[in-house]
Amino acid sequence: MSGTTLAHSAHQPEVNYLNHTKTLKSWLFTLDHKRIGLMYLGAVALAFLAGGILALLVRIELLAPGQTIMGPDAYNQSFTLHAVLMIFAFIIPAVPAVMGNFVLPIQLGAKDVAFPRLNLASFYIYLLGGVIVLSALFVGRIDGGWTFYAPYSERVGDSILFVTLGVFVMGFSSILTGLNFIVTVHKMRAPGLTWTRLPLFVWSIYSTSIVQVLATPVIGITMVLLFLERALKIGIFDPALGGDPVLFQHFFWFYSHPAVYIMILPAFGIVSDLMGTFSRHQVSGYKFVALSSVAIAFLGFMVWGHHMFVSGQSATSSIVFSLITYLIGIPTGVKVLNWVTTMYRGSIWLQTPMLYALAFLFTFSIGGFTGIMLGVLAIDVHLHDTYFVVAHFHYVMMGGNVIAALGGLHYWWPKMTGRMFNETAGRVAAALVFIGFNLTFFPQFIMGSQGMPRRYYDYLPEFQGMHQLSTYGSWVLAAGLFLILGYLLWSLVKGERATANPWGALTLEWTHASSPPDMHNFHDTPVVTRGPYDYHLAPELFVTSPGGDGAAEQVHPTETKA
Amino acid sequence: MAQTTVAALESQDHHAHPAHLQHHFVSSEQQFDAAKMGMWLFLITEILLFSGMFVAYTVYRVWHPEVFELSAELLDWKLGGLNTLVLLLSSFTVAYGINRIQHNDRKGLIINLVITLLCAATFMVVKYFEYTGKFAVGIFPGGGFAPTGVYHGHELSHFDVPYASQFFSIYYVMTGIHGVHVLVGMGIFVWLLVKAIRGRFSSEYYTPVELSGLYWHLVDIIWIFLFPLLYLI
Amino acid sequence: MSAHGHHITPARTLVMVFAGLVFLTILTVVTSRMETGPLHVPLAIAIASFKAILVVLFFMALKYDNKVNALILSVGTLFVIVFLGITLLDTMYRGDLPNTQKGTIMDQQRAEEALKAEDPGAEAVRINRPENP
Repeated sequence: MSGTTLAHSAHQPEVNYLNHTKTLKSWLFTLDHKRIGLMYLGAVALAFLAGGILALLVRIELLAPGQTIMGPDAYNQSFTLHAVLMIFAFIIPAVPAVMGNFVLPIQLGAKDVAFPRLNLASFYIYLLGGVIVLSALFVGRIDGGWTFYAPYSERVGDSILFVTLGVFVMGFSSILTGLNFIVTVHKMRAPGLTWTRLPLFVWSIYSTSIVQVLATPVIGITMVLLFLERALKIGIFDPALGGDPVLFQHFFWFYSHPAVYIMILPAFGIVSDLMGTFSRHQVSGYKFVALSSVAIAFLGFMVWGHHMFVSGQSATSSIVFSLITYLIGIPTGVKVLNWVTTMYRGSIWLQTPMLYALAFLFTFSIGGFTGIMLGVLAIDVHLHDTYFVVAHFHYVMMGGNVIAALGGLHYWWPKMTGRMFNETAGRVAAALVFIGFNLTFFPQFIMGSQGMPRRYYDYLPEFQGMHQLSTYGSWVLAAGLFLILGYLLWSLVKGERATANPWGALTLEWTHASSPPDMHNFHDTPVVTRGPYDYHLAPELFVTSPGGDGAAEQVHPTETKA
Repeated sequence: MAQTTVAALESQDHHAHPAHLQHHFVSSEQQFDAAKMGMWLFLITEILLFSGMFVAYTVYRVWHPEVFELSAELLDWKLGGLNTLVLLLSSFTVAYGINRIQHNDRKGLIINLVITLLCAATFMVVKYFEYTGKFAVGIFPGGGFAPTGVYHGHELSHFDVPYASQFFSIYYVMTGIHGVHVLVGMGIFVWLLVKAIRGRFSSEYYTPVELSGLYWHLVDIIWIFLFPLLYLI
Repeated sequence: MSAHGHHITPARTLVMVFAGLVFLTILTVVTSRMETGPLHVPLAIAIASFKAILVVLFFMALKYDNKVNALILSVGTLFVIVFLGITLLDTMYRGDLPNTQKGTIMDQQRAEEALKAEDPGAEAVRINRPENP
């Protein structure tokens, strides 16, 4: 490592990317990937808040059979808007656009992404898409679920046109971000940063970007065709006009199944980084973990029909889809096993980000295994469109993506803001999120296997106990999330100042950039001489460090253990 | 990777930055490569965008081959063929224009861009006549499909069969979205022409011409497939 | 730009490629108007693909370009084939489940109308479809 390492510098730079210019204009027109990342963080957090409040309302409505707080129509609109906001405005951009934007170029040792102007444009396109979706609220009822299945989506009110147009526009944002990141990874790596020295977060964002670039155009043309179906009655999807509604589902899921991997792959990357850093250990099977992301990205394109087992598609294709779905279990299993073996004989440091990584391992594994169950043809016919699917989906999306994203947010918070959050509050919140999440969604597996259909406003009295548990769980979860919001905002004002590398990590954003980073990230282009988790090659981390909270002293045993 | 590294190291000891070089790149070469790779990625998003329509076409053609063959008779292969040749010529002039500017022949670039624009305009004019000719006899996309009368010697009542409207819906959507791409391409070429006349391009810097050329060739390739699929078979 | 190592496709090559493309366009029109039986569709698609390859290799200069761009194009094309192929796996075998119908609602309506025309007096002719769809 060159002598310029900042690992132990306790002082913060006077001028950094946050304060070098202060006008509103300097933020709105910034080309700095870090500022764009923070603006995405704000926008995405708002979408998460709105979607979350809708989810709470839906859960409260389901506290008892019959009407509790809203009528069936308001209920339908609530869950539709919850899904649209959470999927298109929150989860898809959450990790790539927030953490990918902030961290990826620094981890590559680059000054910025390859196309900074395109990057800013994709942020505003995202905002525009969000505004269009929300404007649907003023047009009429939002109905039809987030899947917009034809022919129902051709019969409901015109507000669905705004939702689909908004999704179309946000798709462009997603494409441009993905395109930007792929080129950045290929062309902007620092000297010495070979493909096998890339942090696993970079690998996962790279795989995600491939999916974004390849899949998103198809949702674009699907939305255009749906639009034309309504406007001109072109009869591609509507059976009353001679069209084929199952074809719509093919089009929709050709995007939306890979989109599930847009949501989960970045989470894999965060967890890989957290496992390596907080175990003070080389991530075992680095190449397998890296390439399994790419494998998942590619295999993910060939399994979309497992959403359509009961749609009337041919049995031939159902069987093929089911078989390929099992294959996805292989690269995913490779990852989970390697995360576990990374911790084995590591020096595990149970800070808040690592707590989320461990929670992820538990919840995602449940989500993954139930996914394989749903990929089994015969079982899916029984479980299709029940709460089992809802629970599986949330275990993967919330238990997978959101919990990992929270881990990543806590991990990179000191780098983004230059402040430490309160560790005790962090641990309490992590526990609340974990308990609340499982309490909310585990009962839904049981209900679903007993036949409670998803999306229903009303239900039989025997399901009430489970529904109540689920609703109470959602309150615990909400308490945890609001606690996080509270102490993170508090840390901005009163938080302890962060050192350059409070976690003792080895990737470039920690070793070569201050907290918060300089506006051009680095003073000199870093030269990389070791892998991202080569703790045995990083003796400077194990000397007593000034500042921090003793991370370096705690990790000392790694050297002697090995 | 090796190239990037070498480029990065080399750049540290020469500080002559050309005007077009952005601060976060270490060399013109890196900037050019990045831009070109970005363009290729954009092109595959275009290919996948059109793939949806090709899938719809194939599915309906496999289901109703006789309807598609019958309906294709109403499309004039002469006009389609003319448009194919026009687009091929425009692709050639774009490629040749890049060749000219690589030899630092600015005038050659301008002439080729003008020919390209003329070809694109010709394509759109022919398309306009094709569309209006069909609208006049009630061949509309989708719900409005009600062919009546005689069209180029074809008694249209024979063509009003189930799924013929699907053929024409697909025809209008595919050629319509392709036409939008041609219009966008024309806008880009006007912009390039203005920059070329102002002397912004040289053998040292012609990235926008090269990237726009890639886009235009893709538009051409889409038409290369649309022509036989819709007009001939 | 040769100082930077950019390949310049010679004008002669471009002209020859253009001539080839014009020839193939004429060829595809001619063959489509001949009686080629089962080769009718495959031949047209083969010629179109060949033309596309010519444009990609020479006009777009992929032959001389960085290999990563060729990889990008191949991956994009591969996924078009995946999209098309797997969708056809459904649509070509549609109705291979015993409890589904092959045709659409419109086909069924037409079949019903044909049946009604045969026997106008019959009550409630309905094929596998609820009364008011």
